Amino acid sequence: MCDNGQNILHVDLDAFFVSVEQALDPQLMGKPVVVGGRPGLRGVVASASYEARAYGIHAGMPLARAHRFCPHAIFLKGSFPRYQHASERFIIILGDFTPELEPAGIDEAYLDLTGFESLYGPAWETALRIKQRIKEEIGITASIGIGSSKLMAKVASQLAKPDGVLEVAPGEERPFLAPLPVGMLPCVGPKTERVLKGMGVTTIGGLADLPASLLKGRFGLLGEMIHRYARGIDEREVEPPPAAKSIGRETTFIQDTLDRPFLGAMLHYLSERVGAELRRDGRRARHITLKLRYADFDTITRSRTLRQATDADRVIFDAALELMERCLCHKRQKVRLVGIGVSGLVDEGSQLSFLDSPAERWRRLDTVIDRIRSRYGFTAIHRGRTLLLQILPGTPLSLAPAGELGGPLPVALARQAGDAPLGYHHVGEVSWYGHQGTLIELGNDGKTTINGGAEQGYGATPQVGI
Amino acid sequence: MKLSCDQEKLSKGLGIVGRAVATRTTLPITNNVLLATEQSRLKLAATNLEIAISYWLGAKVEEEGAITIPARLLTDFINALPNERIDISLSPRTRTLELKCARFEGRINGVEAEEFPPIPTIGDGVATKIEPEALRLAIAQVAFAAATEETRPVLTGVKAEFDGDTLTLAAADGFRLAVHQAPLATPVAERTEVIIPARALSELGRLLTEQEEPVEITINPQRSQVLFRLKDVEMVSQLIQGAFPNYNQLIPQSYSTRAEMSLSDLAKAARTASIFAREGSAIVRLQIMPGEETAPGRVVLSARAEEVGDNVGEIDALVEGEESKIAFNSKYLSDVLAVLRQDRVALETTSPSSPGVIRPVGAENYIHVVMPMFVQW
Repeated sequence: MCDNGQNILHVDLDAFFVSVEQALDPQLMGKPVVVGGRPGLRGVVASASYEARAYGIHAGMPLARAHRFCPHAIFLKGSFPRYQHASERFIIILGDFTPELEPAGIDEAYLDLTGFESLYGPAWETALRIKQRIKEEIGITASIGIGSSKLMAKVASQLAKPDGVLEVAPGEERPFLAPLPVGMLPCVGPKTERVLKGMGVTTIGGLADLPASLLKGRFGLLGEMIHRYARGIDEREVEPPPAAKSIGRETTFIQDTLDRPFLGAMLHYLSERVGAELRRDGRRARHITLKLRYADFDTITRSRTLRQATDADRVIFDAALELMERCLCHKRQKVRLVGIGVSGLVDEGSQLSFLDSPAERWRRLDTVIDRIRSRYGFTAIHRGRTLLLQILPGTPLSLAPAGELGGPLPVALARQAGDAPLGYHHVGEVSWYGHQGTLIELGNDGKTTINGGAEQGYGATPQVGI
Repeated sequence: MKLSCDQEKLSKGLGIVGRAVATRTTLPITNNVLLATEQSRLKLAATNLEIAISYWLGAKVEEEGAITIPARLLTDFINALPNERIDISLSPRTRTLELKCARFEGRINGVEAEEFPPIPTIGDGVATKIEPEALRLAIAQVAFAAATEETRPVLTGVKAEFDGDTLTLAAADGFRLAVHQAPLATPVAERTEVIIPARALSELGRLLTEQEEPVEITINPQRSQVLFRLKDVEMVSQLIQGAFPNYNQLIPQSYSTRAEMSLSDLAKAARTASIFAREGSAIVRLQIMPGEETAPGRVVLSARAEEVGDNVGEIDALVEGEESKIAFNSKYLSDVLAVLRQDRVALETTSPSSPGVIRPVGAENYIHVVMPMFVQW
């Protein structure tokens, strides 16, 4: 009855906040963990591990009560930027599978894979690949429901939890839903559920059997909707969110500073982040805005409109640096926050340039950097300028940007090149653990070589050409 | 130092040299203007270390001398005075300049003239002369195409080639190229190529509006400075060192479509389109359609701003070759149309992603090349 040929996935991260904490600190694995705050404080549980749920703890429960249920649970305050970062990566992974993507909160999203079967194979195979990438790249598990509508996918993913995949075959929607408790139906909250119980309805099947007029009379429009849902009918489409009107990145320093090279390096880093996001979305920006917060919390923003829209790191950086220099001329005080925002976004019409123009060279450079980063991660390659931001052993942490770099902290080794083309230093990255080393060289012939092509013990040497 | 001069002339002179006063500088004295007597004249001079402008005005000099005074303060004060004689005297001990005009007087503390950066003088070198109007047009049609960002310094300059009795000016910012050939009034002895900062030429262009006699141009033997001598005014500019790209290879040698139309029609249509373009991605789309048996050829200009609106305008054109499409940054199109003098203009295109060429019809000495924007049609 609902075989409209749609293939919808609902991907839901399991115990999201707790899972992120566990991924960062493996000692938390397998233990009852609660994110939300200390039990002595007011507040509620934001997320509980499955081990904690076994004690009856669930999201929304007051912390004090959770503590009574399980006094030996580990209570964590949590860090929202950390979850946001994980959430962004989650959406980026999903975006690799289809542009028909609708985030439905920080830890769940709908994907419409209709028509992708010929490309990717059956939907459940794609689901397994999505789960695997989330596990590998974020270190957490997800549950995925597959169905002919958002409704079916959502119900299936809840049943698949944790760490499972469940597909509802087309045509089987109604029999599948019928035995489930009515509270599992989206839009049926505890209140509606109680009223339905009073009417003698406990299962979704029972709800479907009621006359529509009765539900409409009792619940109005909601009644009509849950009646349709109960019969497995849901015509809502997966709607990608409208394109953002601006993109911005900012960072607060642990210690206020007026160190020009450091501020310049930070601006460059932020420009690269913003530029990468623009290029990923295939858009360009007309307006560049610099945000500065001084030590006295005086916050100013200054903007520049470019002659033509850009997605080049270098152009964004040049504009931001000029704005910062001007601000610091007017008010020479230590800075606690810098940010770069871009707006006036356009997604068509890139200005072509003469072949040897700087703009053309930057475009080629950005393309190469993006490709390296998409394969080896953002920290795999740095401009010489941003090396200042890398935390070398023994460097006071006060110089590190708070929370921006995220994850394991990269340490970079720089080797000044005799003739670095395009103003680049040859840069390699050694991970925080000090083992893996990658040397990336941009040669004069425009080829990028990784690990010099001769490094032992790293397998085949990948080559990225322009 | 003791002299008197006319308020109006002094005000004008300060306005002229004021263009060379440094604004953001690490050398505070370059915020000052130099006042020095030279026989029966008063010399004003200012420099931002890239350009220096000197101006001479008639004065009744009673006592020779020189001093530098904060330019902004002096200019504002002189401009506020009535149009009468100003008596100026310097107290050498306190370095205070005293100014009296009608029933007003003022005192401004200065800095010794010896501390002012020397204004370069160029005696010998390559010298030539050019009619002011020819130079003014050349600057107007070329200087705007130079880059404003400092990322590649040579592109912030205008390439000037002196060859025989021709001066060729060329500027390119990576997206467009402008080349203008102007006749020299006096041929040069040897072929000379230099890169002049576009900012310096723009200032020179401003000075040329009142000039009637030919302008003297001298380039020093080291090719590091150029001097422009006008009536009562001299401007010296540093030259940009480096290799200017070979722009000739950027000029397309052929075209597949050529549209000739009225400059004012095209400028008007471009202006209309720019209203929508500036709200969006700054794109103006041009569709060139050849005429049919009875109907004339047409050029359709359109622009749209997402979620805002769009517009379409059409003008008549003599179209040669096949139908074609090309999209330009609205500003680049308006910029070049604004500096053309002829009644008719030609647009030559090869493909939507090849450079478009704009030429004034009937003037062989100017060519403008614009890189298009890559758009979905």
